[in-house]
Amino acid sequence: MKLRLPPQPYEWLDRKQIIEFEFEGEVYEGFKGDVISGALWANGVKTLGRSFKYHRRRGLLSFANHDINALFQSKDYPNIRGDVTQIEDYMNVRAVNTFGSLKHDKGTLVEWIGKFLPVGFYYKAFYSPKFLFPKWESLIRTMAGLGKVDTAWGEERKPKRYLHCDVAVIGAGPSGMAAALKAAEQGVDVCLIDENAFIGGSLDYQYANEPEQVSNRKRLKQGIASHPNIQVVSSAYVAGYYGDHWLAINTPQGLIKLSAQSVVVATGVFEQPAVFRNNDLPGVMNASAAQRLISRYAVKPCNTAVVLTANAEGYRAALDMQQSGIEVKAILDTGERLCRWVQEAESSGIIIYKNVEMVEAIGKQALEGIVFKANGEQKTLECDGLLMSVGWAPAGAPIYQAGGRFSYDSTLEQLLPSLLPDGVFACGRLNGVFDIEHRIQDGEQAGLNAALYAKREPLVDCLDFRAAQAHSHPFPIWEHEKGKNFVDFDEDLQLKDLKGAIAQGFDNIELMKRFSTIGMGPSQGKHSNMNGIRILAKARGQSIDATGSTTARPMFHPTPVSHLAGMRFRPERLTPIHTFHQQAQAKFMEAGAWLRPEYYRTGLPRKMCIEAEVKAVRNSAGLIDVSTLGKLEVFGQDAAELMDRLYTMRMSNMKIGASRYALMVDDAGVVIDDGVAIRYSEEHFYVSTTTTSSDSAYRMIQKKLIEWKLSATVLNRTGQLAAMNLAGPNSRKVLAKLTDLDLSNEGFPYLAMRQAKLSGYPVTLIRVGFVGELGYEIHTDASNGLAIWKTIMKAGEEFSIRPFGVEAQRLLRLEKGHIIVGQDTDGLTNPFEADMGWAVHLQKPYFLGKPSLSKLKVMQSRTLVGFELLSNQAEHVPLESNLVIEDGEMAGRITSIGFSPALDKHIGLAMVDVALKAIGSTLHMRLSNGRMVQAKVVETPFYDPQGLLQKPQETLQEEVA
Amino acid sequence: MPLRLLKYAWQKPEEEPRFFPDEKPLKKAYDVVIIGGGGHGMACAYYLAKEHGITNVAVLEQGYIGGGNTGRNTTIVRSNYLTAEGVKFYDQSVKLFEDLSDEFDLNIFYSNRGHFTLAHTDSAMRTMRWRAEVNKHYGIDSEVVDVETIQKDIPYMDVQCNGQHPVMGALYHAPGSVARHDAVAWGYARGAQMRGVEIHQKTQVTEIKTKDGKVVGVQTNRGFIETSKVISMVAGSTPRITKMVDMQTPIEVFPLQACVTEPVKPFMNTIVVSGSLHVYVSQSSRGELVMGASVDPAELHSTRSTLDFVEGLTDQMMDLFPFTSRVKIMRQWAGMSDITPDFAPIMGKTDLEGFYLDAGWGTWGFKATPVSGKTMAYTVANDRNHDLIKPFNLSRFEEFALVGEKGAASVGH
Amino acid sequence: MKFVSCPHIGNRALSEFTYGGALRNEPDFETVSDKQWADYVFHRHSEPKTQQEWWYHRPTGMWFIFTRNTLTDVISQVELATEVCTKGALNEA
Repeated sequence: MKLRLPPQPYEWLDRKQIIEFEFEGEVYEGFKGDVISGALWANGVKTLGRSFKYHRRRGLLSFANHDINALFQSKDYPNIRGDVTQIEDYMNVRAVNTFGSLKHDKGTLVEWIGKFLPVGFYYKAFYSPKFLFPKWESLIRTMAGLGKVDTAWGEERKPKRYLHCDVAVIGAGPSGMAAALKAAEQGVDVCLIDENAFIGGSLDYQYANEPEQVSNRKRLKQGIASHPNIQVVSSAYVAGYYGDHWLAINTPQGLIKLSAQSVVVATGVFEQPAVFRNNDLPGVMNASAAQRLISRYAVKPCNTAVVLTANAEGYRAALDMQQSGIEVKAILDTGERLCRWVQEAESSGIIIYKNVEMVEAIGKQALEGIVFKANGEQKTLECDGLLMSVGWAPAGAPIYQAGGRFSYDSTLEQLLPSLLPDGVFACGRLNGVFDIEHRIQDGEQAGLNAALYAKREPLVDCLDFRAAQAHSHPFPIWEHEKGKNFVDFDEDLQLKDLKGAIAQGFDNIELMKRFSTIGMGPSQGKHSNMNGIRILAKARGQSIDATGSTTARPMFHPTPVSHLAGMRFRPERLTPIHTFHQQAQAKFMEAGAWLRPEYYRTGLPRKMCIEAEVKAVRNSAGLIDVSTLGKLEVFGQDAAELMDRLYTMRMSNMKIGASRYALMVDDAGVVIDDGVAIRYSEEHFYVSTTTTSSDSAYRMIQKKLIEWKLSATVLNRTGQLAAMNLAGPNSRKVLAKLTDLDLSNEGFPYLAMRQAKLSGYPVTLIRVGFVGELGYEIHTDASNGLAIWKTIMKAGEEFSIRPFGVEAQRLLRLEKGHIIVGQDTDGLTNPFEADMGWAVHLQKPYFLGKPSLSKLKVMQSRTLVGFELLSNQAEHVPLESNLVIEDGEMAGRITSIGFSPALDKHIGLAMVDVALKAIGSTLHMRLSNGRMVQAKVVETPFYDPQGLLQKPQETLQEEVA
Repeated sequence: MPLRLLKYAWQKPEEEPRFFPDEKPLKKAYDVVIIGGGGHGMACAYYLAKEHGITNVAVLEQGYIGGGNTGRNTTIVRSNYLTAEGVKFYDQSVKLFEDLSDEFDLNIFYSNRGHFTLAHTDSAMRTMRWRAEVNKHYGIDSEVVDVETIQKDIPYMDVQCNGQHPVMGALYHAPGSVARHDAVAWGYARGAQMRGVEIHQKTQVTEIKTKDGKVVGVQTNRGFIETSKVISMVAGSTPRITKMVDMQTPIEVFPLQACVTEPVKPFMNTIVVSGSLHVYVSQSSRGELVMGASVDPAELHSTRSTLDFVEGLTDQMMDLFPFTSRVKIMRQWAGMSDITPDFAPIMGKTDLEGFYLDAGWGTWGFKATPVSGKTMAYTVANDRNHDLIKPFNLSRFEEFALVGEKGAASVGH
Repeated sequence: MKFVSCPHIGNRALSEFTYGGALRNEPDFETVSDKQWADYVFHRHSEPKTQQEWWYHRPTGMWFIFTRNTLTDVISQVELATEVCTKGALNEA
């Protein structure tokens, strides 16, 4: 650790713990608290990474949590940020995006051919001849990207936390700390967020050697530590400001979602690099980076330094270097200025050159010297460190994201907030305030107003503490005929690249960004956008404001997927009978959020299991869990009117104790749902919906109820009730064992509803026949569902009753020609097309979608038909969605198909052109492999067309409208 | 090294020809005014000039070229639609896309990746097969593939989806591609301008003047322009334009969000879409994973970002690619989608003489850029709807003759 | 993440609500022409503006009418749908 300094007053190290870590195959030591880049620098490692495009050596630049050229790779993570990630024992990292190794990177070849690769070069080549493009593309893809993912990595998820406070303060530098303390003193709850491990910000690195700041530091830090209203969230950055003062805060432990009443943005400024030839040599860094290295990590940035400055802060940095035993060869001031720090620098004996122009940095693997012009004379100085202090850009992301704006202040030569949304306050250097005492006062007034805002009290007027002179160079950019003057260090963009983009007409800030990719790298332009704007403004001869700035979208820093996703929370709904299904080896399928038995495994192949279930229903008895159906109760004075309006059939004339098919269409006449309605009493109905639309149907019905101003109540009882369907020729016998109810055809006819007790449990029984056999739908309280199910299974034992699943039911209903909404209908199918005109009662004065159906009735061009295949050969059986072809044109598609054991043939439904609907017409079907097979249109139902099985002999005369 | 790059060794950047000329004053009158300088507007201008000799055309753009949905989409190009109308239309588009680089003398990075639309339910499988069969019928290379095939092509995908809703199969569409979206707009813009079309950025239309049921001109923030033909090609801003001529459309505007990760070394070569998981993802040539989901739940004319979107997307994406949990999301953004009830566009002539609409692009406008430009140019030049866009006329709604594209998956990217 | 400040159920996350479209008057079914009906079913005045909208609150199962600006996303008023519809104060243009 040859560049390690003795302990610094505010350092973040635990020197008692020495940590060994590996970088590029070599072992280094550091202290606990060190970050990777800092620890390597302390060991004299100056090449931390390679640049994205040219693979140039890169060291530290900003050391402010967005140094993209010092990104590392471990076996577990890609793109590890060296300036924010602490070293750990056994840590083993390499630089990202090198070919070979960091030291011997074959990627440097790109720099040799760099002159052939102007800005946007990829737009100008590789496409002709066309067949070669994939080869070029493959080469480009090899060169692209930074870290490497290992697709064998497992899933990682970090839990999210929620926080609520009155005032959120982003940034714990001097103004942020002052804001937090002042706000807390107003009695509100404050959350102080800082991306660094410790609060203090520039007070600790820029004013580390200023004795006058000891008291401020103590007052602020102790005040915050001891104030019960302030919660400090450190090592945490605000990834995004989202509507209504919600902040997404990323911490190493996961995401915090913070809801605040008001927000103080005290995020400060990003120091901006100067642009000159070889400004990327390791050893050239921002002045504040050097100050942070020293005060936080006690690492010497260099042994001999030159400071390039355009503001007072550069002089402070020079003094700090001197104080740390670094030889300061000179301060190169781009202009001249007067202030306390300048005087101190002068009196300390540092050579100061004024009105300097940078020429270039020189050095092979790292900085060895610099060349500049002063008073027209070119000079060279040897040094291994060049500190750039030429200006600042606001860290304005939260303000942009909140809908605020920035405008350029030509006194300060800096963008300043010009529009702050309600409840958002700005202070400190971001706000153009540079004097340290003023920054604290500016923070206090922002904190006060934020607290007042949170308390819904009137705000107080603020004093303007903005600096009266510039702290940024208006154009810290020096051309050089040989180039290599980098504007964007993420994307390896040089001055000539931007000038090239502008010259080609990409002279709008957004177009320039998109063509050159400036600001699109992982630092999102934190050190490049401002210089980019300056270059464009100058080229166009217009002001910075007229040039405009690009917005800062979330994320502030790239944020791990594992944090954003959080824990997996995907609710599953289980029916009351689920445990039975599990024990009975059900193969489950998802139906919306529900799990339903697809079929029950008996050890035989799937198809045979399903067939056995089908046979049980056809020959004796079967029981299916239909608890997932939506179940709504409708009651009240206008219940009948509501039912009439909701469904296509008339419901108001339904007899009490009867049931009826219920078909629903939307305003446009499209089939959206079906079910069975029953009438308990004059003003009380009960209706089922399909499984997937239970919520949407309920929601829609409630809405219509309000719109129509009817007096009725709708209750969604889906989860409260269990439902099952007992079907098969022996179902009556099974039921008879469990109830005293008169189950005879006369006593309980087809389509009737009865309330009864089954083994003592109250149930509603409906005699329906979706599957085409004598059958009973049984609805009961969910808590009784499993007991009743088991009771029925037990009673059915002597009849070899079987539970059956969704697949068997699908086949059974197909044999009856019953449709499944969503399978046999699509997003535009109306009832006429679904061959269900019988269910549409256009004589009713009104129902949902009626005006559309009146029109659609006469426009029908396609219809659902039943068909049977002419061949049963397995390889000739089409699949659902295979097409019907007529004269070479598409004429329809199969919506359902299955083998009917009862009929010993393949049957199905197809949506076809009306021209093909005649019974007996031939349908030409195209299999997926192109082979054509034939089918014949037949009457539906396929099975038991008269319905004698489900309603033997006399039945209740239910008029189907 | 391609020969085309050699010249840059000694050429100064300023010597490169400009893509876009300097700003010019507006003329008093144009034969055609195109509102919207995105891909569609530029393509239309290009084809008007190139194929119909109509060059006295102004493209008016309120922001900058390609700054709307052209620059905000996830750049996927495909033609695996569900309806005959959709398939024929997008197939034309794919064919045009394939030759654009040569036509423009500009690499649009049209990169053929193959496109998997995953099915996690049997109903999704039915939809996939339906699309595949319709596609094949029109000669489009689409097929339903089983889990084994998917796993072979995308070995790093967890087809079990962490135990819930496992993948059952997919619609594989071999022509599925991505392209550099901005370059498409720039290429058309350059080509149009070379042929005399004027492009005016930062020029906002504030009013459309009509007389006796005909368009006579547009008022802009830079003055009045006489014209008898106005084409609105403004995607999410369509309702603002149609309001100017008091025209009702079924369009509603919903934000559509997307995000990218930090660049990582390319590992994903195909495009993967899951309707059930509301995820689509591909990896760009920069190494970023480009991801999107379905549109936001409520109408909004804004491109604000939400946390809900990125939380939901990342959560679902991990079901398929658990290892991406260690990748970082770098940036999120949004566009404004102009959604129609039948998920098909609204194109062609309208009841107002001289006013043409190209709208209703929902979430798939980018992939239609070439064909919409070409067919709209034809329609305007001949004042007759091009055959390919007849089914997409605005009048279809009052005629209840909707296009059945809605049968396709809810996420249609 | 947005919050909805409701006089009936307090401050709620918007994610608890489901959007139900703009509040519109269904034309009188007795007199409606085909064109008017098609307009009602399909056509929208969806330029950015402040409008009344249906929002369903899932935890309570209640419909609310929000007055919301579709440009700024500012929700300026939250009312019970039953109250708004009883008043007959539909303001759709």
